[in-house]
Amino acid sequence: MDSDDEFNSSASGSEGDFMGDNDSDASFGGGDDDSDLDMEDNDIGFETQDKDIKKSKQKYEVDFQVFGPEQVQAQQDNQIEEVGNILGQPPEAAAILLRHARWNKERLIESYMDNTEKVLESAGLGEAALHPPKIEVVKGFTCDICCEDGPGLETFAMRCDHRFCVDCYKHYVESKIKDDGEAARIRCPGDGCNRIVDAVSLDFLVTSDKLRDRYQELLTRTYVDDKDNLRWCPAPDCENTVECGVKDKDLPRIVPTVHCDCGHFFCFGCSLNDHQPAPCGLVKKWLKKCEDDSETANWISANTKECPKCHSTIEKNGGCNHMTCRKCRNEFCWMCMGNWAEHGTSWYNCNRFEEKSGYEARDAQAKSRQSLERYLHYYNRYANHEQSAKLDKDIFLKTEKKMTQLQMQTGMSWIEVQFLDSASQALQQCRQTLKWTYAFAYYLARNNTTEMFEDNQKDLEMAVENLSEMFEKSTDQLESLKVEMMDKTSYCSKRRIILLNDTAENLRKGEGLVVDLF
Amino acid sequence: MSLCQNRLQEERKQWRRDHPFGFFAKPVRNPQGVLDLKKWECGVPGKDKTLWEGGLFKLEVAFPDEYPTKPPKCKFVPPLFHPNVYPSGTVCLSILNEEEGWKPAITIKEILLGIQSLLDEPNPDSPAQADAFNLFKKNRADYEKKIRNIVKENPAP
Repeated sequence: MDSDDEFNSSASGSEGDFMGDNDSDASFGGGDDDSDLDMEDNDIGFETQDKDIKKSKQKYEVDFQVFGPEQVQAQQDNQIEEVGNILGQPPEAAAILLRHARWNKERLIESYMDNTEKVLESAGLGEAALHPPKIEVVKGFTCDICCEDGPGLETFAMRCDHRFCVDCYKHYVESKIKDDGEAARIRCPGDGCNRIVDAVSLDFLVTSDKLRDRYQELLTRTYVDDKDNLRWCPAPDCENTVECGVKDKDLPRIVPTVHCDCGHFFCFGCSLNDHQPAPCGLVKKWLKKCEDDSETANWISANTKECPKCHSTIEKNGGCNHMTCRKCRNEFCWMCMGNWAEHGTSWYNCNRFEEKSGYEARDAQAKSRQSLERYLHYYNRYANHEQSAKLDKDIFLKTEKKMTQLQMQTGMSWIEVQFLDSASQALQQCRQTLKWTYAFAYYLARNNTTEMFEDNQKDLEMAVENLSEMFEKSTDQLESLKVEMMDKTSYCSKRRIILLNDTAENLRKGEGLVVDLF
Repeated sequence: MSLCQNRLQEERKQWRRDHPFGFFAKPVRNPQGVLDLKKWECGVPGKDKTLWEGGLFKLEVAFPDEYPTKPPKCKFVPPLFHPNVYPSGTVCLSILNEEEGWKPAITIKEILLGIQSLLDEPNPDSPAQADAFNLFKKNRADYEKKIRNIVKENPAP
């Protein structure tokens, strides 16, 4: 898609300045911007000036914005007001309509204009107004829920006129909010009635602030869940929402890592922790594979062979080399994997070499072992970086201690020892990236681009190990190593950016890096 | 008195005053001989002019403490051969499902009438037992024969 866009734009006459001030490398940046604009066209533009202030975007980065709970609320209110004005509906009804249409404003307005009755009915606003909702005392009334009928019993009904006593109505709505976590789709308690309890009615019924807050929170939650371009920050206790224009269909080519204001890096596509540079689909596949395979595969690889005929896995736990496969009854020699018949019957020691059948069997088996070994190669490195990242985290905690020590021993100021902190952070980030490069590489087809990818990977890995090593040094050495450490930190970060940029670019182009999701 | 107890007592009163023909519904007595309002024994007759005509099917209806906010659980005893009845006997019906059609204003009378309609109008979209569902789908003649036998085994008095 992106390459198409670019093709179009250069064909459509803007060619002059496009080619003029961009060399081929930078024109990818141009292509990126194009597609980003495309994505945002669908939404209302959110403060475009903001982007200019931010430091320039790397190729692997995507545009996103973080919203706090109040801002999300304000967004909803704006849209409710806007739609209410267009459709001539009070805000509480407009809110229900919008939620019903999953916040797709355009479609709502269109279908509303087409068939007002139908839209109102299906959104739970049907049946024309008989009474505005209010609490009243009705003569001769018996509540269908609690069967109370005393005089002066306060009752409530929405426009559908299903009347119940206020206590029952209240109890019903409160339990829906509290126990079921419902908000946007609480229906009238009357049998078979689909009318939705709107915000105004709710105000009559729910008086506790705590429950109202909960109701609001639940409503906001449905808003964020319904909007494709919004996602919760998955960090524990974080209430922020991130907006990003990357669509699901773009995920094979873009890895949309976003950075919440709470400090958490996560993937907008799948909400998992940052997994640059591997695309979401690959990550999912890899994680599943690891869950299934790794430990077992290790053991199998070390302790078993496969039957050369049916490829059942066989553990030899004693006995001679004359094997009979339990499954397919194939007889073969454990040593050379050749057909037993060719051995003759006289000797039980395999001293022969290069019988054709044995060669083929070994070959087939070698292939399947090889694929397992290939997997383990990548898995071990992946797991190693995961493990190291955990250890580095411990180091970070020790770093804080070291920083204080260093201050006391050398008389450096707090600011001056910050280099340790930034080094530790860079290390964490690079490990995270490295880890995923191994999962990624496992799925890559062998070609030149992959080789370049692996070169980048190697450079980053070396830089990371060098930096990691310096953390092991004692405090008194650290002072003299400060400059070197700062250099290495920035080198690491640079290598990481280069790797991510290259990969992102290749992914976007959809060529070079052939991802083979078998 | 709690909402649950109050409402059930009232339902009991209303049922005794008036209920649809052929049905029965009464709270059971616990071993000490005291009425347990939260557990009812009910009977649903097959509708006239259907396969199920002439049968009477017994149900246990258990009301939770949260009744009528939450629906009661209805269970055929013994379990009934029917596409929407679980092997345990529990009835699968939208108005008995809290997430679907349950509303606090639904009474035991409406529940039992709903179950009666379900007998002859199974809902093929939510099968609850394989035997009855498969037979109903694949061999209607055998299904109907089987139902007639079940009706014979559970005759209305």
